[in-house]
Amino acid sequence: MQDANEQKPHWLQVLAVGRRPSVTLLRILILVIVCLVMFKLILLPIRVEGISMEPTYHNHAVNFINRLAYWRHEPQRGDIISVRLAGESVMLMKRIIALPGETLEFHGGKTFINGRPLDEPYLKTKCNWEHEPIQCGPDQFYVVGDNRSMPFELHTQGRAVRERIIGKLLL
Amino acid sequence: MKIFFRLLLLAVLGAAGFWLWTVLFPSPEKVVLKKISKLAAVATFVQADSNLTRAGKASSVVSFFAPDAQIVVTVDGIGSRTFAGREEIRETALAGFAGLQSLNVKFLDAKAKILPGNVTATVNCTCEIKLGGQRDMGVQEIAVHLKKLDGDWLITSIEPVKTLQ
Repeated sequence: MQDANEQKPHWLQVLAVGRRPSVTLLRILILVIVCLVMFKLILLPIRVEGISMEPTYHNHAVNFINRLAYWRHEPQRGDIISVRLAGESVMLMKRIIALPGETLEFHGGKTFINGRPLDEPYLKTKCNWEHEPIQCGPDQFYVVGDNRSMPFELHTQGRAVRERIIGKLLL
Repeated sequence: MKIFFRLLLLAVLGAAGFWLWTVLFPSPEKVVLKKISKLAAVATFVQADSNLTRAGKASSVVSFFAPDAQIVVTVDGIGSRTFAGREEIRETALAGFAGLQSLNVKFLDAKAKILPGNVTATVNCTCEIKLGGQRDMGVQEIAVHLKKLDGDWLITSIEPVKTLQ
């Protein structure tokens, strides 16, 4: 039975801090911790800058990097990953096309891995790249963008060491 | 209870003392990082800045470098160019500051490493440059080498770091 003397909190107070402020405060604290853990340690929010991943990812699109993607297994061919520069403020977003120890080359715009043509259904732009074989080291992944319409020299690509790979794109 | 408050006060005083110590006697890493962030601030200018302000900033940029400093700039698909010595850096800075609408320079994720002997240091960071009138930014990972000359940390070289080999 409710105490007759117990005063009902003002509706503004209920709106601002709830009926029980201490519980509301605890909820806010838990929410802040969950958000910090989620968006700092697990899913890193990013904004795409540039056209090198067109048409798969458009300029200024928002996405997340799953940092736990390579916790149990190593990066795979076809994965879209983020490669850190000096830190995680700015990262490169690229697709892995060659794995450690593999040899890659471009002929007539087609990619060849260890001499065999690579099926790349995600490529929608014309490409005429020609490049002699490139060998990936034991800890290196060859990464490149999906937009290969520009000359080979103007496209940021190359071998990324495993330590620089932060995670896999979520969406 | 009294003892608890005394201990709490002691802990607070200890923390404040430690903080004051780090402010008054910063570590060489902190000094070097502060120098780098100052350089970014000096190298940044807006469209509204007068020619006089720009010339002053260009001259200030030079004061961050050692007399025999080198800056290596690499542009994908074009090649690389080295600016050697304070005079060439000053001329390039003056020309750049006069010719550009605006310039925004940031050194992100800077990490300083003081080398044995405490007279040389290396800062690894991502340099982000935004030119006036352009929406997209240019980014490059760089290594900044510094040397302590007459008690002041001066840049001896700036060179690009290859993120992808």
